[in-house]
Amino acid sequence: MRIVVCVKEVLDPDAVNNYALAGRLEIGDDGKSLTQAAIPRLMNGFDEQALEAALRIKDTGVECSITVVSAGPAPGDILKHAAALGADEVASIEVDPAALDAHVIASLLAGYIRTTGGADLVLCGRQASDDDQGVVPALVGEMLDLPIVTIARAVESGDGGWRVTRVTPDGDEVVAVTGGAVVTISNELGDPRYPTAASKIKARRVKPTVVAVSDLGLSADDSEPRVAFTKQFVPTIQGNCEFISGDSPAELADRLIARLREDSVI
Amino acid sequence: MSSNEVVVVTWGRGGEAFAGEVDDILTLGRGVAAATGGALNWLTLGPVSDTIRQTAGTYGVANIDHIEDAKLAEFSADATVAALAQYCEQHSPRVVLIAQGFDVRLVAPRLAAKVRAGVVMNAAAVEVDGGGKLSVTASAYGGDTRAVYEIAGERACVVSVLANAVLPEAADAATTPAVRDFAVDLAAVDERIQVLEKPKAEGPRLDAAEIIVSGGRGLGDAANYKLIEELAEALGGLPGASRPIVDDGWVDSSHQVGLTGTITRPGLYLAAGISGASQHMAGCSAAKTIVAINTDSDASIFRYARFGVIGDCLEILPELIRAAKS
Repeated sequence: MRIVVCVKEVLDPDAVNNYALAGRLEIGDDGKSLTQAAIPRLMNGFDEQALEAALRIKDTGVECSITVVSAGPAPGDILKHAAALGADEVASIEVDPAALDAHVIASLLAGYIRTTGGADLVLCGRQASDDDQGVVPALVGEMLDLPIVTIARAVESGDGGWRVTRVTPDGDEVVAVTGGAVVTISNELGDPRYPTAASKIKARRVKPTVVAVSDLGLSADDSEPRVAFTKQFVPTIQGNCEFISGDSPAELADRLIARLREDSVI
Repeated sequence: MSSNEVVVVTWGRGGEAFAGEVDDILTLGRGVAAATGGALNWLTLGPVSDTIRQTAGTYGVANIDHIEDAKLAEFSADATVAALAQYCEQHSPRVVLIAQGFDVRLVAPRLAAKVRAGVVMNAAAVEVDGGGKLSVTASAYGGDTRAVYEIAGERACVVSVLANAVLPEAADAATTPAVRDFAVDLAAVDERIQVLEKPKAEGPRLDAAEIIVSGGRGLGDAANYKLIEELAEALGGLPGASRPIVDDGWVDSSHQVGLTGTITRPGLYLAAGISGASQHMAGCSAAKTIVAINTDSDASIFRYARFGVIGDCLEILPELIRAAKS
């Protein structure tokens, strides 16, 4: 059985948020890149949880190989990190980011899966923490003609397919699919494991399989972006907070409730 | 090739409960249609209720397009995507607008793949320039930035719009929309996902709540979340939570408010011990009144709040429960 996990390298979203909260987030001369060079690059958190979901399936004794693949500019350490965590193979589809959109990325990932023996399960993070779009997994599923199960907190093998627990606004939903599937993992899966020191050292020697785009059998349409990311800006928030004053918690509470009643908010 | 039409798509909930939820995307759609020079249509999967007719008229809809099929009676992603794709193939709308929701996160990109359109989620604005070039502004980095995507050439685009991205505004002149039935053939569609256990919806949903009291890490400890529940009850509202305390297992994820949780739009959103990370605010900034309680007077949440209390929520919440009950 083969599980393919799709991962993306992103800027550390917590670091980006800290800059944003401090009012120091800036966009570069190209009008779309964040200028803060100090922000570390790492594996998208939801993707790391998707890998964790694959490792948990393996932990239960299911015989499977786990391939981690990334498409985009040359990935830094995220594939070594994946290897240290327990991926059996790591692969990199290196392409110029200029002509990429979700459709092209999905074509590359689907092409890779199709030309390397297919997959019994494709796991992805529910969205990337940079663009927050979360559309690539659905596009990959459509291209491979696989059912797509979104926003999962658990995936188990069973009955010739997969049993997936989804996190819906109404609570957990348990669904089953027969055969292969694309499943997206949400943060409710829980914390991913840490690599051991020994596995980290071993992973340093791991070389990702470099995949040539020309080997993926893509059509002209597959490689034609639907949208172009042209601009990014930092929104301004107009604050008009009225601070409630008082000498004690009781007084603050009374004044706040009175103020809310005065405005008919409650 | 696509026409210049703009279509707003809704489904589910028996076709009744759309008032107040589609006002903003109908307003957005009318503006986009005016710029593309096409008609604004509303496609509904399910019965056309009086509410839909009235709302459509108020917001200047030209046609209510209507699909009904036994396979759409209960939500099925495969049937919904197939029905929408058949509609798009025939009508070739330039822009498909859908209010972002749980199922939309799956349906929108799948539809785009089927009809070879672009797709943008988390949209806050759609613009059409003088040359007819379409661009969509979307929230990124959990709300810290906005990204602008230009749709290639004449391609159509499926746009999933964030709640309250646009202020609803009725059309200058109300319309009397024509209702057009659209027949779909879903005979070949068999939902590939089998539901084994349905979600156990407990009580009212956060996204429909008028009052929400939410807690974050400032509560200090999981046991203190009961203060949030008590105040919510005293105010007649529902308890919510920030993502960190959900991730820490203090409270079930059905309470999570934010970009990856529930997007809410209550009358009152009271946030206790929540710093106001953008990804959280994406789930509550549509509230009419935000009240923030935080020890840090520089906390980001105060930039969004109408009323602020600087102090320890563990001291203030019990007093608020008392005052709310009095």
